[in-house]
Amino acid sequence: MRLKTIIIIVLLCSNLFITQFLFAQNTLHSESKTVPKKLTLDRAVMCEDIKDFAPLNPAVVFSIKIGKVCCFNSFDPVPEKTFIYHKWFHKDDLSTTKRLTLQPPRWTTYSTIQLRETDKGPWRVEISDQKGNLLYILRFSITD
Amino acid sequence: MPFITFIRWQDVVDILLNSYILFRLYVLFRGTYVFRVLTGIAFLWIFQRISAYFGLILTSWVMQGITAVLALIIIIVFRNEIRSVLQAKNLKAILWGFPQQGGPTTIQLIVDSVKTLSKRHIGALIVLPAKENLDDVLQGGIPLKGLISKEMITSIFWSDNPVHDGAVIIEGDRISKVGVILPLSYKSDLPSRYGTRHRAALGLAETTDALVVVVSEETGKVVVAKNSNIINIHGSASLTKILKEHMGLHEIESDHQQKEKFKMGIAALISFFFITGMWLSFSKGLDTLITLEVPVEYTNRSPGFEIVDASVNTVRLHLAGSGALIKSIQPEQVQVKLDLGHAVIGRNIFSVTQDNISLPPGIFLRKVVPSVVEVTLDETIKKEIPVQVDWVGELPENLILSEIKIDPEKVEVIGGKRILQKLSTIYTEKVHLDNLKEGTGTIFANLALTPASLNIAPGSKDRAKIAYVIKSRVQ
Repeated sequence: MRLKTIIIIVLLCSNLFITQFLFAQNTLHSESKTVPKKLTLDRAVMCEDIKDFAPLNPAVVFSIKIGKVCCFNSFDPVPEKTFIYHKWFHKDDLSTTKRLTLQPPRWTTYSTIQLRETDKGPWRVEISDQKGNLLYILRFSITD
Repeated sequence: MPFITFIRWQDVVDILLNSYILFRLYVLFRGTYVFRVLTGIAFLWIFQRISAYFGLILTSWVMQGITAVLALIIIIVFRNEIRSVLQAKNLKAILWGFPQQGGPTTIQLIVDSVKTLSKRHIGALIVLPAKENLDDVLQGGIPLKGLISKEMITSIFWSDNPVHDGAVIIEGDRISKVGVILPLSYKSDLPSRYGTRHRAALGLAETTDALVVVVSEETGKVVVAKNSNIINIHGSASLTKILKEHMGLHEIESDHQQKEKFKMGIAALISFFFITGMWLSFSKGLDTLITLEVPVEYTNRSPGFEIVDASVNTVRLHLAGSGALIKSIQPEQVQVKLDLGHAVIGRNIFSVTQDNISLPPGIFLRKVVPSVVEVTLDETIKKEIPVQVDWVGELPENLILSEIKIDPEKVEVIGGKRILQKLSTIYTEKVHLDNLKEGTGTIFANLALTPASLNIAPGSKDRAKIAYVIKSRVQ
């Protein structure tokens, strides 16, 4: 009975130690992880469509016949819930602005515009964070 | 507006100069056939202008044609006459002198002949009758009735000529008789140096009112016998004077000179009025209006400033002048210049006035549209701007242009601050997709700078190299 008690005590102590150790490890690790992570744009492409959460036919020139064009972005990491902007410019005129939400820890997102006959010409999409900091510019053309 | 205000000093010079040229043409060519034809052309021209004024289109056209052809003909047909007039005279005579009309006069011929005879020591007796008839006092003689010439007189008194000892009788412009024997003078107080010729000359002079010119064979001296007097002649001028007095030409000549001066005065006046008429016809007669679109030229712009906007690039000038002058306007003769020396950054407003416009002589400004020009200036800066390809055309449906790399990715552009602040992309000229094949490749394209006031900075490329990748489309 006494041995049983001793064993139980030893096990509890060792458990406590291990827990303490593991907690300490976790604390260290979490302390190293608590350095604020920066929202990073992992991939940005213009594509014809999105299929299985991946860009289909990334390109720099799109025919107006396909009817739409997508701006695909992949962010890794996403430190916190945030949002980004896609500003679509036809030549130098702002055509539309899309607000897209990002969720941690990583996120893929995209915006799309429908193409009309008057949309032919050079385009660019400015990707900026919620504070308006420019993250990237994608340039492409809409042709016949 | 009073007409006189239109006349400039250039117009006065124009009229006077051409009047003098016309007057000189008259002086040089009067009495010739050229002058008559020129007069005819002048009348045709006046007729043509009158026809044009009254709207007689065909008549005016025909007159114009004839005038033009005649002007050509006159040069061809009368080229020898024109040449003789121009070649025979020196420049001073052409520009200023008044040539004598006709050939040398009888007196001039006699004086020249006497001068030659005197120089060669050929004895001569020349009788110039006055009012009295000499038939009673003269003996012998052979009728000649030949026109006077220097050669004729010289040859008559040549020593080998059978009639050289006698006198010649000159009546009018003809030698009426040669070898005439004159009555001798019985004067006893004649100097010993005078010979028989002198005695004969004096003999006739004593008995009649004739004048006798004597050339001494021995000394070559010339004397004139008239009214019992013997006058020594020293030089051609004194002989000319005596002969003129004898013939009563002084008064006639004076009259002639008066007439000549009057003629010249009339000719000068006609020339002046004719040219004034021509000038009015060309310059003022047909007041024509024209509207010209003239580009505005900006001058004295500060090097650090850029014209970013101007309300107009051209202004319309409403101009007036004669039809001939309006037709002859060259584009470079009409300029509109605005001085930007005092212009500032931002909007500047300029009034376009006569001072800003240069016009050829004889053309007048009536109106400027618009009369105010607005010019916006900006500071010149440099900016680095990304380059983007402006694709056009179409790839085959199974292909996509998946990737490009452009060199340079950015270019430095110089231009107005306001423009460059708004400008975020420099596009290439249109690049056609149609000729591109699957795979990789490289093409070049020039950069298209819009607006045109922009320039690529020195050191930056004005042409882009585009490396591309074309792949098959994933369906």
